[in-house]
Amino acid sequence: MDIHHDHPMTETPTTTEPRRGFFASLAALALAAFGLAVPALTAVAAYVNPLRRKSAAGRFIRVASLTALPSDGTPRKFPVIADRVDAWNRYPNEPIGAIFLCRTESDAVEAYHVVCPHAGCSIVFQQSDDGGKFVCPCHVASFDLQGKRLDKTSPSPRDMDTLEVEIRGKAEVWVRFENYITGITDKIAEA
Amino acid sequence: MKKLLAWFDHRSGLIEAGRQYLDRPVPGGPSWLRVWPSTILFTFLVQAVTGFVLWSYYSPSDQSAWESVYYIQHEVAGGWLLRAMHHWSAQVALVLIGIYALQMILTGAYRAPREMVFGSVVLLGGCALGLLLTGDLLAWDQNSYASTHVRVSFLKLLPWIGDDLFKIAIGGPGPGFGHLTLPRFLALHVGLFTAAFAGLFLLHGLFRHRADQLETATPERSTSYWPSQAMRNNLAAFAVFAVIMLLSLQNGVNPEHAGVELGSPADLDPANKYAAARPEWAFLGLYEFAHLFPGSLSLLPIFVIPGLLFALVLAMPWIARTKPGHYFNVVLILSLLAGLALLSVHSIRKDLANEEHQLAIVREADQARRVRLLALGADGIPGDGALSLLRNDPKTQGPKLFAQHCASCHAHVDAEGRGIAAEDPSAPNLYGFADRAWLVGLLDPERIATAEYFGNTAFRGGAMVDHVQDALADLFEDEKEEVESLAIALSAEAELPAQREADARDTARIAEGKTFMVNPYGCTGCHKFHDKGRLGGAPDLTGYGSREWTIGIINDPAHPRFYGDDNDRMPAYAESDDPAENLLSARDIGLLADWLRGAWYEPE
Repeated sequence: MDIHHDHPMTETPTTTEPRRGFFASLAALALAAFGLAVPALTAVAAYVNPLRRKSAAGRFIRVASLTALPSDGTPRKFPVIADRVDAWNRYPNEPIGAIFLCRTESDAVEAYHVVCPHAGCSIVFQQSDDGGKFVCPCHVASFDLQGKRLDKTSPSPRDMDTLEVEIRGKAEVWVRFENYITGITDKIAEA
Repeated sequence: MKKLLAWFDHRSGLIEAGRQYLDRPVPGGPSWLRVWPSTILFTFLVQAVTGFVLWSYYSPSDQSAWESVYYIQHEVAGGWLLRAMHHWSAQVALVLIGIYALQMILTGAYRAPREMVFGSVVLLGGCALGLLLTGDLLAWDQNSYASTHVRVSFLKLLPWIGDDLFKIAIGGPGPGFGHLTLPRFLALHVGLFTAAFAGLFLLHGLFRHRADQLETATPERSTSYWPSQAMRNNLAAFAVFAVIMLLSLQNGVNPEHAGVELGSPADLDPANKYAAARPEWAFLGLYEFAHLFPGSLSLLPIFVIPGLLFALVLAMPWIARTKPGHYFNVVLILSLLAGLALLSVHSIRKDLANEEHQLAIVREADQARRVRLLALGADGIPGDGALSLLRNDPKTQGPKLFAQHCASCHAHVDAEGRGIAAEDPSAPNLYGFADRAWLVGLLDPERIATAEYFGNTAFRGGAMVDHVQDALADLFEDEKEEVESLAIALSAEAELPAQREADARDTARIAEGKTFMVNPYGCTGCHKFHDKGRLGGAPDLTGYGSREWTIGIINDPAHPRFYGDDNDRMPAYAESDDPAENLLSARDIGLLADWLRGAWYEPE
């Protein structure tokens, strides 16, 4: 038994409203849709705003001194220290990345990005009697001392990313530091 | 009272609606097979209630997220239990949704007219995964940061849009996460995925109701929902509660390890990224599956194949329109689950056998304990976050700095050989540097020319070694005691924290030892010591091994106060006034000196 039927408010109205025109309904709908679309589009535009933030372009940063590099070519990991900008903050002199430096000759140095080209984990150097190798702990990609993939079916789509090195002054190692897009076969700098 | 209720029902219709809901017919009679939606609703309610309170404490910033979770975990009464129940009910929800969907496939209950019922369950599972993935990062510890970073980085695999999707997901240009990552993940977690879960659950109920109506052409066997089906549902929900509680309490109630573990705070520095990050259990099979493909084809195992399988599962009700189609579905879903289980087990076994992986886990656990200890210390957590506690902690940073900058020549190993070995030992072992035992060994004619001290240095044939081997050889017992007093007096110069009590106790012996340095053992013939002796011949022994002295010799060992022109191969780490020209920053040298001297915070 539905109690609502006893109430006068729910009685069927005796007069019917005039039928609204089709276009009038459509116009009302369009106005409402427009009213909703403006805030929705503004919201989407604001949400994807990070697309407009660019990565810092590659520039030369002083990383180490030659004397800190073993002469036998054993890789050493060094932090890359520079000002880090994060949304509304600027942090002076923070680690913004890390690289491996290997001395190839008395005054020649190779630099490799620690970031694995596969999924962005940090590669570690595993020393052993035969010189050692680079290994990424996440998906076990391994690389030789020249940063070349050791495994034909390596999870990494490309060899370790090398960076441009300059020796300045007496024995300062400067590296042009930038990040590269992970997961793809080509080495492309982050934009 | 009755009147009031009647009025309320009249105006709202709620009581009548509730009665109708409870009295609705259950086709085929009450069944335990119908309890799953109730258990899923139960886990959702647990997550909603616990989640709201967690949210009320949570501070979604990379400088305070871990700290606020730490506060919930260790300071808020019952906070660890709240966090554990939230965590485990999310895991259990995923399992229950899986069981429910599997049951629909196995019993054929996904066939027409129940396509939408089944589809909404599968999508509900997707939402549960989304909640799991976004929630995982919020703890902001080393593991949650590193494993989420890998997962989100996989977005870059997608052609054309991948890089942009990644930036939108993390709220910045990357490649590391930043300020805006946590707010975004929190909004997805408590906003989007929670609302989607609730909405889908509601839709699922409507679809089910509609399907029941369509199916009950012959309703003779149906009974009402209340009480027999409701009782089964409530008992099942209680069983789920018991499971959640067992899981939440599995680590006991001791606040040290109770509930769900919280690692050390996430470190955005790529050099310190956690090396043992692994996906959540639900993704372990997929993680191992991806290993079967070379890196250039990663798109297949990570997006294409899982995407196709997901679409196939959604299409199963239509495939099942023929009998062979139904059998195909059953075989497919069972082999899929078995395959994922096998791959997960394989992955776990591989990690257990991987020494480096296990070592990384142990190191991280040590670090988590250490940061907790520091946070409990008198100074608490500073405003710039708990990570700075670790960054300024000699016990944490010392070994890293030593291994990086000192261990090519110096070792730091104790008597049992534990510690940091030198790559090419050519300088003294600095374990216990300047403490009594270390100095007694240095003044031992048998030991001074070994690799432990000057054996591999240019000083091997120098005046110090000669003097010790001549003047301190073949001593009488009382003379040996005098040399020991001398060592104790010199060691007291270092003011080592570990010897504070011994130094205070032995003042008389220290005073005596100081005189022995002049006479009869003649140290001040070459060394300066307070107002005796002169600089220029050998290192100054005034304040030997103190923080200031240790920093000084690391800064510039060839300074006249130390080895001067006689310095062997030790580089000057900070001889310039311009910090940019130095090998090490003043802060790092301070940390090294403190670590060598054992000067770090330990609770009373």
